[in-house]
Amino acid sequence: MILLLVSGASLVLGAILALALRGNVARATAALASQAVASAATLAAVVPLLRAGGGELVESWRWPYPIERIAVRVDALSAFFLAWSLPMTLLGTVYAVGYLRPYFDRGRNGGPHFALLNMTSLAFLVVYSVQNAMVFLLGWEIAAVAAWLLVIWDYRNQKIRFAGFNYLVSTHLGLFVLVAAFMLLHAQTDSMDFQTFRRVLEKPSRMRAAVFLLLGASFALKSAFFPLHTWLPRAHSAAPAHVSALMSGVIHKAGLFAFLRFTLLLGRPEAWMGWCVLGFGALSAFFGVLYTSSQRDLKRLLGYSSTENVGIAAMGFGVGYLGMAWHAPSLVVLGFAGGILHLFNHALFKCLLFYAAGAVYRATHTIDIERLGGLLRKMPRTAAMFLIGGLAISALPPLNGFVGEYLIYSGLLSGAGASPTENVVLVVIAALLAFVGAVSALSIVRAFGVTFLGAPRDASVHAAVDPPPSMLWPMYLHAAGVVIVGLFPSLGVAATRGATSLFRIADPSVAQLDVAAVLAPVTWAARVLAATLVVVGGLGWLAGRGARRHVTWGCGYTAPNVRMQYTASSFSSPFALLFVGFLPQLRRAKLPEQVFPQQNGHLATHHVDAVERRMFEVLGQGEEMATKASDKISEEPRVAFAAGLVAIVIIFGLLVGVGR
Amino acid sequence: MSAQIAVLALAHLVVLLTLPFVVVGVIQRTKALWAGRKSPPLFQLAFDAARLLRKRPVYSEVTTYLFRVGPYVVLVTAVVSGMIVPILGARAALGFPFDFVWFAYVWGLGRVALMLGALDTGSAFEGMGASREATFSAILEPALFLVGGAACLITHERSFDAVLALRATTVTGGAGAGVWAGSVVALFILVQVESARLPVDDPTTHLELTMVHEVMILDHSGPELAALQVGSAIKLTVGLSLVAAFLNPLTGRAGPPLAAAANVALCLLLAVAIGTVESLVARWRMRAVPQYIVVALIAAGVALLATTWQIGGAG
Repeated sequence: MILLLVSGASLVLGAILALALRGNVARATAALASQAVASAATLAAVVPLLRAGGGELVESWRWPYPIERIAVRVDALSAFFLAWSLPMTLLGTVYAVGYLRPYFDRGRNGGPHFALLNMTSLAFLVVYSVQNAMVFLLGWEIAAVAAWLLVIWDYRNQKIRFAGFNYLVSTHLGLFVLVAAFMLLHAQTDSMDFQTFRRVLEKPSRMRAAVFLLLGASFALKSAFFPLHTWLPRAHSAAPAHVSALMSGVIHKAGLFAFLRFTLLLGRPEAWMGWCVLGFGALSAFFGVLYTSSQRDLKRLLGYSSTENVGIAAMGFGVGYLGMAWHAPSLVVLGFAGGILHLFNHALFKCLLFYAAGAVYRATHTIDIERLGGLLRKMPRTAAMFLIGGLAISALPPLNGFVGEYLIYSGLLSGAGASPTENVVLVVIAALLAFVGAVSALSIVRAFGVTFLGAPRDASVHAAVDPPPSMLWPMYLHAAGVVIVGLFPSLGVAATRGATSLFRIADPSVAQLDVAAVLAPVTWAARVLAATLVVVGGLGWLAGRGARRHVTWGCGYTAPNVRMQYTASSFSSPFALLFVGFLPQLRRAKLPEQVFPQQNGHLATHHVDAVERRMFEVLGQGEEMATKASDKISEEPRVAFAAGLVAIVIIFGLLVGVGR
Repeated sequence: MSAQIAVLALAHLVVLLTLPFVVVGVIQRTKALWAGRKSPPLFQLAFDAARLLRKRPVYSEVTTYLFRVGPYVVLVTAVVSGMIVPILGARAALGFPFDFVWFAYVWGLGRVALMLGALDTGSAFEGMGASREATFSAILEPALFLVGGAACLITHERSFDAVLALRATTVTGGAGAGVWAGSVVALFILVQVESARLPVDDPTTHLELTMVHEVMILDHSGPELAALQVGSAIKLTVGLSLVAAFLNPLTGRAGPPLAAAANVALCLLLAVAIGTVESLVARWRMRAVPQYIVVALIAAGVALLATTWQIGGAG
């Protein structure tokens, strides 16, 4: 416990120094050094807890009203999340030093930015370890506000301010729902301690159902589940690359963590909860991946893919819930192990992809993939990193993305359902997951192929080079993680074992499934595949040594130019047309007229978010109605009218309270 | 025991590496017969591959290492994924639980390598082919999982063994037949789409605007082209063998050598069927292909729904 306190103190000190010191080098050093100390101390504290039955750190302090008592409890679940969140934030800070260099060269003060990164780490320490709802909300809020301030780094740009504001509003809507849930629980237990919440949450009741739905909605918004995802693509495309990476890979995992934390308090869930989680997960995965298929903005595309991947993790949790409800221990183990492993894998490859996208932005000053092309030859290292991340995110073996999904498939296809109909539904969801995987491969082939392959599309995008080492090394480390967990999944399983073992049916008579044993055949298959690929690929490489070089075969056409390459929009067009109902397309066209056109034509297509569009429509209508209604009331009584409304709400609340 | 597995795996590998040449030859021969032409030798693909291996490749100036390595990834994924499919009508030596999930994703890796190689050339035609391949494979992907899931549910197996168990146990009533028929239809369409045969894609045309698979390999030459051709022949054979395993009447009723011989013979018969379809049907418009894929999905869905009837009726 003392180590965690050291870690927290180091982060606070680093933040203060980052604000107080003069010169960006000193500020960055303060932040990096303090985060390194914090990461080391945290790892030293939590690694022993990662084993199954590794014990837990418990502490509690008395505190003035209204908190009264801060209980801190670091169990295997907290330990697992802490073990990678802080080091990954440290890597993000290293990346920030390189990424923000051009701003620093122009004299921008980076102190607040580094301080905020420290505060993010501090928020992890708080959220992942406290047991008190008030302190939990405090940590939750630090993370949210810090993320908002990090997003609007480039605040002079109005679009970025809007994206940040959109995020701030959305995340606080989620906070209201969370506060409502905590208030319900507090009203029932007269306590703010998570362990006493267990009293209400353990027994099936209407109250438990309401709290479950409220908590679920709030955490789903935090992790950007469909249809609560609309803030995410905007925020991710507006933020600096390392902030997008940390938000998508690390910060928003807090939503899933909190969901798991409350799952532990839930006792035995009901089957409808499992279907709810599974259904929402499947919905998120499906719509998230649909939107990735047609984005022009590389970081926006990666943002939607976060919605997809948290959906996949939630599908795993849903399987685990159903296993608990049906008393099927193998489903519980496979579901939670698959979900937890997948969210860890996602943190590994999503940060990698965002860092690579950031390197592209730094080099070319655009992330509109339609304007890029042929970057692989100019930025070979970045391209290789993006490729590794992309193959992993499409869940292709032998990389890490496949491992978690294989566990989830094993659960979905195991036929352990309570009735044949339920089994059939699970198989249909497995087929949906297969669709998600294939579309994600489509999106990543499109994003990688158009950005890094072929020839440069736009002459105004100038020559690019690989980024400095401070940006490359975080990518290398993440890529190494992706490959290592892919080839040695037992390492990933070992890291998640403690956390997974908390989600068990406490019944000594049933044999517990060993996840490592489930993965053993796939592990060997992946190694054989990797080895064969290296050997045959190497031999093939040698066979092509004496090759001649020539122009690309133009099918008889002798004057092709770079503008004739297939674009990203044309690549995704056949697919997007099949799903046009979900993927509304905005089209601005001025086509050439007559046989000999006098003027140049142009065509621009843009895929917008159907949910966001509809939401703004509804909000717009609502605002219009409200304006009209209030216009009917003259100026003076309007205040009285509002006061009356408030009074009605209070009286109604009192009546309900008294009636109980 | 392990020696037995080794022998079985070796036999499996030998069949996997030789049968594709015969299958392609049989298809060519069938088509020649229908067209009234003299057919090329049965092992024409082998001769072609040998000739291509001796040639020096030509690379486009815009291509990178992905273009150079891609064809070998296609070849390796075809062979490695083929090792777990019961092409001998008996349990594949290297099968494991939910191997069909792995199988689908390894095929996916080969597809991604092919599409990246196509985009690497910067050619509009190849981009078009890659786009179509990605679209069709995305909507086709669920079919294999529906069929696999249905077979697993009805037989309580967890791998490609389910196919064999489905044949070996006499599944009673129309429900069992529903699973079986739906699976066969879905898988046959899957093979047609995945290995780029008519009526989805024309492996012989030179009209680039209408092609899917062939257009992606326009720029490949020499050993890489050989790897691609052999790789897609292996994929075709693996797919047909899987359908053959569904059809094989001797599974579980005769000794392994006999069952294996029957499976290989059935695979060649299916090659004749593919050749016949190619001779009698013209390639469809691109717009019709998704509809054809939906037929596969519906057939797979029927197979899956039939399981509830079966299990519900028994329990």
